Amino acid sequence: MKKLALTDDILMQIDKPARYIGNEFNSVKKNPADVDIRFAMCFPDVYEVGMSHLGIAILYDMLNRREDTYCERVYSPWPDLHVLMKERNIPLFALESQDPIKDFDFIAMTLQYEMCYTNILQILDLSGVALESKDRTNDDPIVIVGGPCAANPEPIADFIDIAYIGEGETSYDALLDLYKEHRAKGFDRQKFLRAACHIPGIYVPSLYKVTYKESDGTIESFEPIYDDVPATVERQVVTDMDSSPYPTKMLIPFVRAIQDRVVLEIQRGCIRGCRFCQAGMIYRPNREKSVEVLKKQAKELLAATGHEEISLSSLSSSDYHALGELMDFLIDDCLSEGVNVSLPSLRIDAFSLDVMSKVQDVRKSSITFAPEAGSQRMRDVINKGLTVEDIIGGATLAFKGGWNKVKLYFMLGLPSETDEDMKAIPQLANEIAAAYYDTVPKEERQGRCQITISTSFFVPKPFTPFQWAPMYEAGEYLRRAKVVNDEMKAQLNQKSLKYNWHHSDVTVLEGVFARGDRRLCPAILDAYKSGCYFDAWGEYFDFDKWLAAFEKNNISIEYYAYRQRDLDEILPWDFIDCHVKKSFLKREWENAMNAKVTPNCKMSCSGCGSAMLGTGVCFNAR
Amino acid sequence: MRVRVKFEKTGIMRYVGHLDLMRFFQKAVKRSGIQIKYSEGFNPHQIMSFASPLGVGLTSEGEYMDIDIKEEIDSQTGMSSLNENMVEGLAITGFRYLPDNAVKCMSAVTAASYIVTYKDSKDDACYIENIADLKEKFFDEASSINIIKKTKKGERELDLKPLIYRFNIEIKDGVPVYDLLVSSGSTDNIKPELVIKAFHEYLGLPEFDELSLDIKRIDMFTGEKDALVSLGDIGDEH
Repeated sequence: MKKLALTDDILMQIDKPARYIGNEFNSVKKNPADVDIRFAMCFPDVYEVGMSHLGIAILYDMLNRREDTYCERVYSPWPDLHVLMKERNIPLFALESQDPIKDFDFIAMTLQYEMCYTNILQILDLSGVALESKDRTNDDPIVIVGGPCAANPEPIADFIDIAYIGEGETSYDALLDLYKEHRAKGFDRQKFLRAACHIPGIYVPSLYKVTYKESDGTIESFEPIYDDVPATVERQVVTDMDSSPYPTKMLIPFVRAIQDRVVLEIQRGCIRGCRFCQAGMIYRPNREKSVEVLKKQAKELLAATGHEEISLSSLSSSDYHALGELMDFLIDDCLSEGVNVSLPSLRIDAFSLDVMSKVQDVRKSSITFAPEAGSQRMRDVINKGLTVEDIIGGATLAFKGGWNKVKLYFMLGLPSETDEDMKAIPQLANEIAAAYYDTVPKEERQGRCQITISTSFFVPKPFTPFQWAPMYEAGEYLRRAKVVNDEMKAQLNQKSLKYNWHHSDVTVLEGVFARGDRRLCPAILDAYKSGCYFDAWGEYFDFDKWLAAFEKNNISIEYYAYRQRDLDEILPWDFIDCHVKKSFLKREWENAMNAKVTPNCKMSCSGCGSAMLGTGVCFNAR
Repeated sequence: MRVRVKFEKTGIMRYVGHLDLMRFFQKAVKRSGIQIKYSEGFNPHQIMSFASPLGVGLTSEGEYMDIDIKEEIDSQTGMSSLNENMVEGLAITGFRYLPDNAVKCMSAVTAASYIVTYKDSKDDACYIENIADLKEKFFDEASSINIIKKTKKGERELDLKPLIYRFNIEIKDGVPVYDLLVSSGSTDNIKPELVIKAFHEYLGLPEFDELSLDIKRIDMFTGEKDALVSLGDIGDEH
């Protein structure tokens, strides 16, 4: 029988013990004695969330294709187990072999959202690995992070040995080969890191020194300590999506994952250029997979997993060049075999409604719009190319097709937002409701239509045209939500409208981390030590502990979140070359302030800089 | 065509709950290529049903699920294509075609057999030397065994005696091993830990912890008390 790291007595007293036993169908089994490199791939959140993540699935498959490497998975133990592991000194283990990851060569973690930073410390702490890079010895694993938040790894610089900047498919082979070489000749951690920083995309924070201006605390200089260390790190990008490794034998978790379905990535990057969207900038250029490859992958994935649902993954599926052909294929070939096709967020038009009516029960499902802003002026500021006519037209078509539920997503707190812009949100919802009553005759209505408005609070992100923008204090976000709520109650069709909004404390903290620098590290460490982890989970988020940690370390929220940054200020992430040039971002910031729309990449090239990669939409026929 | 699949759930699979196991089997059947039937409607689901759910922490040699299939395949092929899609701790041991009038396994179960022992060889019960004699007094010689059973609606008094069809005890390496056959299913569902709890109370042992028991289900049966038939003996292999 497979050995387990946890005893029966522990497994029987914790919630969902199957999170910790491994043994999933399609999980990789290797003999640890047969490999040179043991690699722990961690998602610093609970199992069900981590098991749903496509990036980890891709890298797990890719790394295990190497005969010399055994890549295993680790997720954050839920607090019930965390407490027991601390009490009984049980070291954190990998799911496949159940061996302690302290003895591994690499501990890799993906950073999908800022609020997981304390969970990075939880994983290191439970593993028995020193929390700070400077305290690690030659026998300790190399701690490496990647993922979207590695676009600014500075707030966690002290905790990591390496940040992998960009898409994981390109540089891991070189990094692992180098590691093996260094292991073979008597390993010296510092020498290895020094050599690793020459591999494209590999950033070693300890090899850089940052100084700050005495006047205002902003960065004075950000430079390599040694001459051979590169001053800029180029973000890694897959240039050929069709030949890039994609797993077909995806793991089947026992505990139901958030994504309990086949997820098929159809393209990377986005042509739209919404100015608030980090993914839309850092994953440039938009690169599509060919429809032939996708058909083949869909078939193989369904056969290898036995999933009864397939979903397409991309930032904007409607922009995929052969969406019609792909959907026809999925519907004709898959629906007949009892497989559901679940739809990604599509632009609502005649085509998508036709597809939706084939795969969903119209009476039960809802249609979704993400206008992101209520007024046309605001939508022009954020470069969201969606007009009132698009929305009302799409909704009217949907109402004619039998739908009566609409979901609307907006952001509050965008740069230059006025009370009029906020009020335009419920006004737009009201117009949609009015379109329902105009379109559907009384005798055909099944009660009222339901228009649900959701707002999130905008957080400025690095490498976006809004990276210089100020945020607001928590109370101001709530005031804005109240403006929306009050205006909604004044609408004619208010009984058909419903409004949800988020908490605002966590937004402010996200804002601090997103654009933070390495001076935040001691505060994050103190917050973890005072009991903060699983901050992304409302029931565990404790804002007061964070405020205390900030105060103790002289961290000003005002400095990191609320101030308007100068366009010429050195930003903590400026050392990364993400191909999109700063001059383009500045131009886009100015366009935003003038409410001027920039055409999408298929319409015309706006010269962002990513064309230098020689791939994707920059080179495909427009 | 309805097929009854028999399987074992052992080892570390004891930590996987019933709903998770059902979802595992839906995908395993799909991967196996066996042509299972689907229900009608917008959200078609596989026609698949399980006999009595097994609690987390228990193992079993005799679990059952019934599936409706579109194309007949021989039982050996059915078993091997399912076994290729199992994981450690799950194994298919039977694949029989049911007669048309067979009752679905879910409602057919009337009894289940278990082997129960103690996880810890130093459990209090292991120190009672005449435990076998005491078991005879507690069970074989008793005319009734009245207990208080907690239900969703509250508590009710229950006589266990007529619901326990077999209660043997054997001492292996100093640890009592119980062999139980009890009423099971929708009307009088007796969990083995309930029987052992009553026995512990009779023995005067301190507070009973059901997690101290290692429980393995051996098989499930249908029919009347005196004419029980294993769910795995119904139907034929093709």
